[in-house]
Amino acid sequence: MKSTHLRSTFVGILALAIVNPGFVNTAQAGIAGTEAMVSTARDLHIAGLQGQLERADVRSELARLGVDPAALDARIANLSDSELATLSKRLHDAPAGGNVVAVIGVVFIVLIILEVVGVIDIFKKNP
Amino acid sequence: MNVRRRAGVASLAACLVVAMGGCATQPALVESPLGHVELVDTPFHPQRRYQCGPASLATVLGASGVAVTPGGLEPLVYLPGRKGSLQVEMQAAPRSYGRLSYRIEPELPAVVSELDAGRPVLVLHNYGLPGWPRWHYAVVIGHNAQADQLILRSGMERREVWSARNFMRAWDNGDRWALVVLQPGELPKAPDKDRYLEAAAAFENVAAPHDAWLAFDAAARAWPAAPVAWIGRGTAKYRERNFHAAAADYEVALRLEPGHAGARNNLAMTLLEQGCARAARQQLDMIDVAGLNEAMREAVIDSSRQVDAKLGLDKVPYGISTENCIGSSTHHESQSQGSVSTRTAPL
Repeated sequence: MKSTHLRSTFVGILALAIVNPGFVNTAQAGIAGTEAMVSTARDLHIAGLQGQLERADVRSELARLGVDPAALDARIANLSDSELATLSKRLHDAPAGGNVVAVIGVVFIVLIILEVVGVIDIFKKNP
Repeated sequence: MNVRRRAGVASLAACLVVAMGGCATQPALVESPLGHVELVDTPFHPQRRYQCGPASLATVLGASGVAVTPGGLEPLVYLPGRKGSLQVEMQAAPRSYGRLSYRIEPELPAVVSELDAGRPVLVLHNYGLPGWPRWHYAVVIGHNAQADQLILRSGMERREVWSARNFMRAWDNGDRWALVVLQPGELPKAPDKDRYLEAAAAFENVAAPHDAWLAFDAAARAWPAAPVAWIGRGTAKYRERNFHAAAADYEVALRLEPGHAGARNNLAMTLLEQGCARAARQQLDMIDVAGLNEAMREAVIDSSRQVDAKLGLDKVPYGISTENCIGSSTHHESQSQGSVSTRTAPL
């Protein structure tokens, strides 16, 4: 399923690149974005077609995870190349902040830890 | 049952005494010359289920002058399939609103000094256990050095007071991730040069040229010897089609680092835009393509192609100059040299 999808994306981009050679180097004809010159770019090896593929891949994964199709372009456009690389590697296991944990929950967890470590024993039955 | 509860209360009390005793002997974590700071004007957006990402991002953006609701941010940062928001996207979203995001040092004094400078700090907490993480975004809006406390907008709580020690526990488990949102031209309290330039370069991709110029201009003032700061300024001017100003900034970068391929490539493209294809060719010939990263190599190859196309189109025999560019180039040179001294001075 995923590989068919990837292949169709690849074919699409390849077709676009062949029909329109300008597609690969979209940003500013010839001028290099400052991003290619910052410290992290030194060991980042995504550019041109490969970068486009990675963007297309992350885009379809975000859509699969329920992102509104109308917002996909903006979300992808906001990402720097290094952020894109991070996201494509860790989309499914990076921390996703979302929960509200009531303070009572925190206290409970702390008590469990203290219990397990052996500092307190409030959860044990008294002899 | 009764006995059990009493035993529980007793051990809890004992525990508290131990904890308090512990506090008294340990040094305070929050230290600030201002003693007590609370950014009370920071907006508050109580979060809906799983929406602490959009809510806390709306809070820091609001403090930075961007009126946006969590609902407005949801399409940009919320990931339904993960029931939460990822750090990378939290970091990227402010760019849609003309703001830079900057990750501060993972140390409590960095949080405190941002608060002292009037900026709330977005943090990621982890309230879970090893192997059972519970991630939560919140915004630090104040500190109290005497009481060793931090004040947060978090979840449904408008004002949540945390002991510094508990805050650190939850922050440590979240790998001490903390973010501030900056207006173009605004620098964080203790900026790291490389990290700031990276933030500005990521901003450049989506920012209006003038906003990008402001961000890099602030960098050029803070680090006048950093070529990338001048290149970013130049590229903003290039995008505004102010090629004269762009060339001047690229030349400053090249004087700082004559071998800088990025500055050399972009200067060549600026010259081409000014109708100086031959001068552009000379600049490109000076670039050592080996050892460039892929993005740079592609840019240089593309520039070469464009310059050669122009040279071929004009049927200019290589080596015979019909351009009046050497003079204009030295003109740039002398002019920008003059302006460097004024720019690198106080500002």
